[in-house]
Amino acid sequence: MNKKIKNILISILLLSVSSLVFSGDVNEDPLERKVLDIAAKLRCTVCQNQPVAESNSGLARDMRAVIKEKLQEGKNEQEIVKFFVDRYGDYVLLSPPQSGNGIPLWVFPPLFLLLAIIAVILIMKSRSEKVVATPPSALSVEDQERIRLAREAMNKSGEDE
Amino acid sequence: MMRNIWWVIIPVLILLFGLLAYGLTSNPKHIPSPLIGKVFPTLQGKDLNGNDVTLGVVDGKPTIVNVWASWCGACRSEHKVLLRGARRYGDSISLVAINYKDELVNARRWLRSLGDPYQWSFHDLSGRAGIELGVYGVPETFFVNKQGIIVEKISAPLTDKMLADGIALMNE
Repeated sequence: MNKKIKNILISILLLSVSSLVFSGDVNEDPLERKVLDIAAKLRCTVCQNQPVAESNSGLARDMRAVIKEKLQEGKNEQEIVKFFVDRYGDYVLLSPPQSGNGIPLWVFPPLFLLLAIIAVILIMKSRSEKVVATPPSALSVEDQERIRLAREAMNKSGEDE
Repeated sequence: MMRNIWWVIIPVLILLFGLLAYGLTSNPKHIPSPLIGKVFPTLQGKDLNGNDVTLGVVDGKPTIVNVWASWCGACRSEHKVLLRGARRYGDSISLVAINYKDELVNARRWLRSLGDPYQWSFHDLSGRAGIELGVYGVPETFFVNKQGIIVEKISAPLTDKMLADGIALMNE
């Protein structure tokens, strides 16, 4: 039984590896890759929250064509992104700029997280200070006896070590 | 100690909720144009009759550049506003257009049947002029003053009031 399963697993493994032998090289145009890389950073302005790289809208297609044209002209990524920002504003960037108006968006989340952690620590601290021990007199005789036994047991185990 | 913390937490929460309320109530379709205050770019091309035209040349007159297309439904209601505007403001302004990603036949038929308020329409079949101007939806309208500076951009169908307000801005 076990051997049978083992044999099947080995043949599946061998078959999956064998596909590597038959697979051909994928030809990818590096220019197209670059176009999509840049387009992935730009927002398709007509479809709210989709990058230009993924959108099939007419405008996104035109924008990809512009990116390609500019790359062929020898423009770099920064220049191309700036071209779109100059015309469509920061809105066209999927990730907000790390300067100017974009700074609060990058600074505030970690700041709030830090504040929240500090607040939690302070609250926990003040709570632990508030814990008041039950006065011993409120304990019944049996309870006090149990505590005494437990303490003794603890001391004993401590001595054993 | 606890009370002190609430003095910090409550204002922060109010601030956050304020920002949230602002974000939720503002219109995500309204994108402020970075082109306002900039010089209208010069674009060369053909009009709907095949004549060479240059967009952006200022003949000393405030110019309205309206982006339209025959396939755009909202342009139809705006068209009436533009026809009225062209009559009302006449020679004091120039009204030109960019015909955005439209077939010549359809564009011409539209103007023939609905009336033509424009001096001419720049034929932007590829949409390239549109990208140059940051156009993302039709209709859009640029108000350009005498100095060739864009003073306002509206990304919605114009109303009579928007037209009047834009013209007032151009003449400032």
